[in-house]
Amino acid sequence: MKYKDYYETLGVPRSATQDDIKQAYRKLARKYHPDVSKMADAESRFKEINEANEVLKDPEKRAAYDQMGSNWKAGQEFQPPPNWDAGFEFRGREGGASPFGAGGGFAGQEGFDASDFFESLFGRRGAAAGGGTRRRGSAAGEDHHAKVLIDLEDSYRGAERTITLRAPAEGPDGRLVMQERTLDVHIPKGIRPGQHLRLAGQGNAGLGGGRAGDLYLEIGFNPHPLFRVEGADVTVDLPLAPWEAALGATVDVPTPEGTVQLTVPKGSAAGRKLRLKGRGLPGKNPGDLYALLQVVVPKAETDAERAAYENLAKAFANFRPRAHSQR
Amino acid sequence: MAMNHTISGALRGSVVEEDLELTTIELSRACRASEHDIELWVVEGVLQPRGESRESWRFGGESLARMRLATRLMRDLEINTPGVALALDLLDRIAELESRLGR
Repeated sequence: MKYKDYYETLGVPRSATQDDIKQAYRKLARKYHPDVSKMADAESRFKEINEANEVLKDPEKRAAYDQMGSNWKAGQEFQPPPNWDAGFEFRGREGGASPFGAGGGFAGQEGFDASDFFESLFGRRGAAAGGGTRRRGSAAGEDHHAKVLIDLEDSYRGAERTITLRAPAEGPDGRLVMQERTLDVHIPKGIRPGQHLRLAGQGNAGLGGGRAGDLYLEIGFNPHPLFRVEGADVTVDLPLAPWEAALGATVDVPTPEGTVQLTVPKGSAAGRKLRLKGRGLPGKNPGDLYALLQVVVPKAETDAERAAYENLAKAFANFRPRAHSQR
Repeated sequence: MAMNHTISGALRGSVVEEDLELTTIELSRACRASEHDIELWVVEGVLQPRGESRESWRFGGESLARMRLATRLMRDLEINTPGVALALDLLDRIAELESRLGR
């Protein structure tokens, strides 16, 4: 396990006031919040920032963390010293069921997802922000959320996915046990990224005869080497030779349902989009597939190839590619 | 910790955004928010249910994602409801402009 320097994460000195910490956290949280940021590493950065804040904003946790000393370096191998936390008591530390764990093809879950480093210091319960509290008597089970990643092709064809869920449940002796469940879930054809699938009665079991909650699966798509998805529309890059773009051509275009032939009109510029209507994600309102034209310029390596470019230069003696920037 | 294991058969769910309308109670349960919170988001214009009275409100399936997004922003960025409403409007505008840019 590696030591985490929470002060470094928030970019504040060890002497920072609680106000400094709050300010630094808010600024970074706005910048890296995965719902707002477009940065590729936003999610992992945000997790780090959130975890650092979780410790430093709480004077008790901060004092305990500080007590380990300032000689540690971020990334250094770390084991908490014995009795390092003597004299500190973290609210709700014991009785530690995490609200909802997920494994297998899952990514993401509710609340705050603590690192091993955090858990070794503050326990799992310390991370269960907004987690399920246990009630007495009969109570409906809570609804649960999990994220499932599928492939683009699964949405085109429909698919079945096996997912593994871990959730606390009441054991025969009335104590909470972590229960692992494997569900085979049908992924309906045409489902789009960000949509939710509701599985009635598959959330947490109710207590004392209460009804079970529902399970909501948020659908995410694995990145695809060829296709990009936005809503129901799918885009594929279509590289063309300069003469294909200039003179027009009929070319093969990959689609998630197989290759199709597409006529590229003459005089097509790079950046132009050609639409294949209804070949995006299927559904009541099927999306479209867009071929985004790119023009690829071959290198001139042989004498014949160089001569061909020179002939081109002669034929286009009046072509001014930078006309817009010249007066 | 004890670990039980159960296997159940293939399940078919409903696509929330396309097949479902949610009542206030269903939405509050699914988002772990109180009915009062939901009313606040309606007042703020973040959620737009059908139906005249609070009792008959029906929320379109897309409200679930919107409500969850609003809850996350409020919790993580410590902003109040008008602030979240503004952020959501701006995020919508960005999404619309990006789609117009054709990216």
